[in-house]
Amino acid sequence: MLPEQKTVPAKKRRRFGWGFRLALLWLLLVIGAALTADLLPLPDPGTTLTGEPETGPTPGHPLGTDGLGRDVLSRMAHGARVSLGVGLGAVFLGLLIGGPLGLIAGYYRGVVDRIIMTANDIVLAFPALVFALAVIAFAGASVRNVLVVLGLLGVPAWVRLVRGVTLAFAQREFVTAARTLGARGSTVMWREIAPNVVLPAVSYAFIIMAVVVVAEGSLAFLGLSVQAPTPTWGGMINEGRSTLETATHIVLVPSVVMFLTVLAFNLVGDRLRELTDVRQSGLEPARPQRPAVRAPAADAAPAPRREGPPPLLDVVDLHTGFRTERGLVRAVDGVSFTLERGRTLAVVGESGSGKSMLIRSILGLLPGSGVERSGHVHLEGEDLAGRGPEDMRKVLGTRLATVFQDPMTALNPVRTVGTQVTEPLRVHRKMSRAEAYETAERLLASVGIPEPRRVLRSHPHQLSGGMRQRITIAMALSCDPEVLFADEPTTALDVTVQRQILRLLHRQRDERDMAMVLVSHDLAVVADHADEVIVMYAGRVVERGPADALFTAPRMRYTEALLRAAPDLSAPSHSRLEVIEGRPPDLAAPPAGCRFHPRCPFARERCRTEEPALVEDTIPGRSYACWYPAGEVPDEGTEEGAGDLTAEDGNVGSVRHGG
Amino acid sequence: MALVVLRRLAQLIFVLLVVTLLAFWMINLLPGDPAMQILGYGGDEAALAQVRAELGLNDPFWSRYADWLGGVVTGDLGTSYISSIPVAESLADRLPVTIELLVLSQVISLGLAIPAGLAAARRAGGLLDRVLTTTSFGLLSTPVFVSGVVLIMVFAVRWPLLPATGYTPFTTDPVENLRSLLLPSLTLAAGQLAVYARLLRSDLIATLQEDYITLARARGLSPRRILWRHALRPSAISLVTVIGLNLGALIGGAVIIEMLFGLPGVGRLIVDSIFARDYLVVQGGVLLVAVGYVVVNFAIDLLYGLLDPRIRHAS
Repeated sequence: MLPEQKTVPAKKRRRFGWGFRLALLWLLLVIGAALTADLLPLPDPGTTLTGEPETGPTPGHPLGTDGLGRDVLSRMAHGARVSLGVGLGAVFLGLLIGGPLGLIAGYYRGVVDRIIMTANDIVLAFPALVFALAVIAFAGASVRNVLVVLGLLGVPAWVRLVRGVTLAFAQREFVTAARTLGARGSTVMWREIAPNVVLPAVSYAFIIMAVVVVAEGSLAFLGLSVQAPTPTWGGMINEGRSTLETATHIVLVPSVVMFLTVLAFNLVGDRLRELTDVRQSGLEPARPQRPAVRAPAADAAPAPRREGPPPLLDVVDLHTGFRTERGLVRAVDGVSFTLERGRTLAVVGESGSGKSMLIRSILGLLPGSGVERSGHVHLEGEDLAGRGPEDMRKVLGTRLATVFQDPMTALNPVRTVGTQVTEPLRVHRKMSRAEAYETAERLLASVGIPEPRRVLRSHPHQLSGGMRQRITIAMALSCDPEVLFADEPTTALDVTVQRQILRLLHRQRDERDMAMVLVSHDLAVVADHADEVIVMYAGRVVERGPADALFTAPRMRYTEALLRAAPDLSAPSHSRLEVIEGRPPDLAAPPAGCRFHPRCPFARERCRTEEPALVEDTIPGRSYACWYPAGEVPDEGTEEGAGDLTAEDGNVGSVRHGG
Repeated sequence: MALVVLRRLAQLIFVLLVVTLLAFWMINLLPGDPAMQILGYGGDEAALAQVRAELGLNDPFWSRYADWLGGVVTGDLGTSYISSIPVAESLADRLPVTIELLVLSQVISLGLAIPAGLAAARRAGGLLDRVLTTTSFGLLSTPVFVSGVVLIMVFAVRWPLLPATGYTPFTTDPVENLRSLLLPSLTLAAGQLAVYARLLRSDLIATLQEDYITLARARGLSPRRILWRHALRPSAISLVTVIGLNLGALIGGAVIIEMLFGLPGVGRLIVDSIFARDYLVVQGGVLLVAVGYVVVNFAIDLLYGLLDPRIRHAS
């Protein structure tokens, strides 16, 4: 079974933005100051009484003087040397030790990996700053000691990062290829993998820089970094505290500079990481644009299309699209249907044809942003578009209920079955806890769950897939819905369980006089249980009609192909299972003309240019969108590729769907 | 579950052994003669010999470690040569202050981070989300001693609402006690708050894309109910792990906070002892902090199992 095709926006080519540029500029400024501190025309940082003590900015001292009359700017520039020097040294030391260890762990895996990572976890189990304090307390405070301690403390983080990247790359084709060609392990590791680790490592180096600058600052603040007379930022903040009330700038200048520097390192590292981290790029939430659900179009008034009472469910010209980088992805493109009580409508089509999105669109369960939706959904004549989110929630779960494909993910793993099943009863029906549990017990029994009382107390992971699906069905039925939407309710289940679940749904529909919308790509399921069928392709309805007629004599060529692709268990085992050639079209740029034409063996010139509309067939209630429908045009008159679909079994009517 | 606990317990004991070994070995980092360093330079030959004998410096490393470890297990961390107070006693005096600071800051940061994370995740990409994300990025980049100095400047110097330094024990005056700890805990909470809010936000955004959330919406439940009852609990589980991992940074921050605000906690005792060259106190303090860290993480690991039914039921 193909997974539902998701529309993933093309990898975003994000520009760096002004924040990134400002951050780089600031870092360049600080680095420049650190490098040229001796060359600049600044007073010596250690000389006292270069001017009045505790003055604010003056022409001679752009950032003022401190309590001893030393020049603050000069001290900042010299302090930058310590911060950046220790930072750079620690980053390289950590990378030098952690990099190779991570490469080895990620490349060789197995025992080597386990030993390295266990050691790593143990080292990580120490509070870093306290460890640094202790070592410096005993070994003495000097640039060398501070640098070595902070560098060593960074090793575990480096091992972890490099190992992760290596693990990811060791599986890629070019590495496997190099290995098959007989390259030695160490050669592959250094030639093929190490270069790919460089980019993530660079982004990480900036983040580690930020951490080390803060750590060095902390030690300096405690008086345990480089000793006087060398100025340090942390030390300056500590000294400035004594003059907080008289000269705020003495503490403010190093504080602001330190904050900006750490922020800049974090910002640059973060942006670079976003560029290299594959997982991150797809998850960036869309910026909010226009309102999620558009106001109904001009013809908002519910136009009853026929005499008599309005149908139970009436969907009119529903459109749903997602704004992406590549343009609007039209997942549902003008779908209409009506449904009466006690009947089942099946929606069929390949994965990615818009079936599931149709359900979500009808129920208004679309993501919050980047969505365009138009059209109408009438429930007993009332246009649901007129309901606000609050009123819509009164319909959801009570009159319209839903069952999803995968029972493994449809239940909350950390809540008991009981809380989940009783929740709609308590919210919508305002039942007490005891009442709700009693009702839930009856519900579970009615969907064929033995020992309902025990099941209510258990968690989803303790139950089988079939049981879970019965529970989601019980949940859906709890408030006596009028329409049940079942989105591929059996796809994720065992074949034997599939039948039971379908029979259960069918029986419940009859007993409760509900209407059911059954989404499936399994035609055998549909043939047995549906009254009417709509066939979707690329977001559009391409054929609709009563189930028997549609299955015995499809008109649209896509329907025909779908039926051929359905496995027929009664066929001799040596017969070939046919597939529909090609892939469903790109919904952001569907092909011109008939959307199926690139894959249709019967396509002619007209199919490529003109889009066929749904036209009524001679059989009542049936319509199709095809220029050259099956059973009308002699097949031998078709152009290229006609043989592909008709070679084995020309008689469509003989295809069986029992399975 | 019992098996998991046993395995973790074995791991805990191993890590504790490594921790004690490191703490013990630290004395060896002292340059020159440790006995001379410990006594300061005024000691005479007889006193030096006595210290050497007491510390067992003449014995081989491993037998010294075994002796020392035996003492540690029975609560004997030695006696300071400077104050003549047993190390364990000074630590016990200071510990409540540090624990109160840590607990208070965690309560503040979680109390703010959970609503912030929920609000940001509810409309990911919205205005509130962007404001919160930017703010937490800024907080994350602020060293504690910078945010502490700024808070002192605003709330103690500019508008003298709260004391800048000093500590009142809870038993003396509960209100003053809270007032004296408010600024320190706020400072310590600021950085943690950013870490937690960011994590919770991204975890919630992932949880909100789960099928069971869409189905909860399909059942007509309100966004508030879905966030608090359906999404928060699965996401809270990963938050708990991070609280454990974060403890190291928290303890480091506490040392600085205690110095900055003049709180008589364990961190300040360690730093003061470093300057006083009271090495046995430093050793004992570091050991206490490391052991506390490892044990709390062990407890959090167990809690994690209790919170997640999938782990709880795994036998």
